[in-house]
Amino acid sequence: MATQGAPVLDRFLSGISDIIRNRDGSKLQDFLQIEPPLSDIYRQMVEELRRQYPNGSKEADLLRRCEGLVPRTKNGSSWTAFPTFMKLYFTFLRDVNVDNLLETYNLLKGLVNQYGVIVLPTVLYLSKVLAKLAMGLDRRPELIAHLLRMEGHSDQDESIEKVTLVEKSANVVREAFIKCLTDRSGTPGVHGKPEGKRVGIYLMANLCLKLLFQCGKLRNAEQMFSSISAQSPPLKYFPASQRVTYLYYLGRYLFSNNLFYPAQIALQSAYDTCHHQALSQKRVILTYLIPCNIIMGRFPSLELLQRPEAEGLADKFVPICRLIVRGDYIAFREHLAIDSPATEWFARKGILLALRNRCEILVWRALARKVFIHGGFHGEPQGSAQRGPPPFLYLHKLETAVRWLQSQHAQSLHGALSFAPSGQPRDAQDGRNEFGSPLVYKLPDPDFAGVDEVDGPETKPDPDLMSKYEDFLTPDGSFDVMGQWQSNPPGVLVDGQPDADYSQYELDPYTHRGELDSETEQGKPTPMIRELESILASLLTQGLMRGYLTHKNPRFAIPGARLRGALPTGFPNVWQTISARESEDDRVPGWVQPPPPMAGSGLAAGGGRVVNLSGARPVGVQ
Amino acid sequence: MSNSTQSHDKPEASQQPQQQKPPVLEEDDEFEDFPVEDWPQEETEQASGSANGANGHLWEESWDDDDAAEDFSKQLKCVLDPSSSRC
Repeated sequence: MATQGAPVLDRFLSGISDIIRNRDGSKLQDFLQIEPPLSDIYRQMVEELRRQYPNGSKEADLLRRCEGLVPRTKNGSSWTAFPTFMKLYFTFLRDVNVDNLLETYNLLKGLVNQYGVIVLPTVLYLSKVLAKLAMGLDRRPELIAHLLRMEGHSDQDESIEKVTLVEKSANVVREAFIKCLTDRSGTPGVHGKPEGKRVGIYLMANLCLKLLFQCGKLRNAEQMFSSISAQSPPLKYFPASQRVTYLYYLGRYLFSNNLFYPAQIALQSAYDTCHHQALSQKRVILTYLIPCNIIMGRFPSLELLQRPEAEGLADKFVPICRLIVRGDYIAFREHLAIDSPATEWFARKGILLALRNRCEILVWRALARKVFIHGGFHGEPQGSAQRGPPPFLYLHKLETAVRWLQSQHAQSLHGALSFAPSGQPRDAQDGRNEFGSPLVYKLPDPDFAGVDEVDGPETKPDPDLMSKYEDFLTPDGSFDVMGQWQSNPPGVLVDGQPDADYSQYELDPYTHRGELDSETEQGKPTPMIRELESILASLLTQGLMRGYLTHKNPRFAIPGARLRGALPTGFPNVWQTISARESEDDRVPGWVQPPPPMAGSGLAAGGGRVVNLSGARPVGVQ
Repeated sequence: MSNSTQSHDKPEASQQPQQQKPPVLEEDDEFEDFPVEDWPQEETEQASGSANGANGHLWEESWDDDDAAEDFSKQLKCVLDPSSSRC
């Protein structure tokens, strides 16, 4: 055979042969280097390969050479793929052109797809290189463009869905993951220890998750987590680095699915069991653990924020916590608005929408609480013999506070007109909306342009109308919410230039105002009261406020407050409320725990849950 | 007025670390591989936190603001009760 002039290759092959005899998987991985820069000895071997087995003519010889490596036993079925694998490895080394990353990628993909048990460390190593390569390519659009062009020409039938390189790699790694998970040697499933290929479950899962997060295809992780739940040995039997990494990705996945409580358990555990010197990892975990807790009403302590791994995180999260405590919903929205400078970082981390959408209700709770403190009826004084009504808050007090907030922000807009991006504190202007939400600003939809004009209070500047309603259409000025006189330029139509013909409508411009002002007290709430009512109703259903609402003569009442006081009763602690509710089920989907010691009993079948029957009534009792 | 409280506290808190902050912050989006495969319980964050005498008080559960003297509350009070003597 090839004896003359291939000493390095010969030594390499006999080395591989020894390794296989000893079944030494990690040494095999050590031997099968692919990632540049390769050492001199590998470069020599590549030279020999190119000389002895050039591309094309000697492929079959190379394969035969590789077949000689594996034991020729009858039960050695797991070895049948190995010669092909080795041949691919040599082909890869021989033909790889580091400049052609696409080819590198395709060759690597071929390598990763072929393997047995002992090859596992090698497969992991190759997968990591593959992941690195794919993610590197993802960051270099000019190389991707080349790839996409190639694909567009070669396989046109694949044009149904564009799959990125990173996602493709994730799929390749997922195949390796499934091979690890479904290995039937030893005791499989939740009762088994990691044996055989199953030792690679979380290594592969973590790599795959990394790629899926990179390409934003989190949905593809769903199947992985459920197959882990169904088939994996408990996570605790795996090394710390794999556990922490896995819990981090699991936590992020749960977070992005709005499952904040289990996400918090996973992320907190990842943080707690992380190596105390791994600052970078701890920091990345905190980036998600902190917002997860904020959303559930638990703020990072000073102690946490002063830790070295939290450096800079205080600047990001403390302003949000302050705004929640403050209760100024407009300032909160502005802080996390799309065009706010603070948002970019949150958006890049993928936590912006969760914070914006989930924390606002906490801001409203804080506002309602403050309005109750300063404008609510707190019940009869302690020790008074009289049994009066329960503590309550008129919703119109809340409306007053909201209108005040709106006027404050509208003023600050005018004050800094030249600096503020156009229309920034938009929510401040919504108090003046006659239509739509008085609390949430919405961009006018061009499709509906003109709809307002049909029912709108606007008037054609018809001289007849003008003479009739001049004081309404072009008033000298108005009082703002704070009672300050704001004068208008003379003759200006304050509601803009009406452009529809209203002569067919008998319009009384005072009707609307009259409704707002006089009938409010008679039990016809303003649109804002209606909206505040629904916000409070939402707080009540979430348990973040306790009591009831009266719809007629809108009030929020806090019954049963004699013992503990109105504030703790009506506005219970947010975190305690949420954690009490959520901790009924502490299981984290995707986190495999060891089965309870009494496995096999009825308890295990019911998931160990206790059914609380204290509230159940005997049959037949009304 | 809405920003006054924030801008008061912020410069004081962040004055010292300001010089070397930006570069460290931004390039850590990825969760890096750990340099070691496994470590014992004693080397975890949890264990070292309690060993350092830190009591592990990581989270504030009670943050409701009852400070009536605080700027925002004072103004709100005047809005809700303009007849109040201190407005």
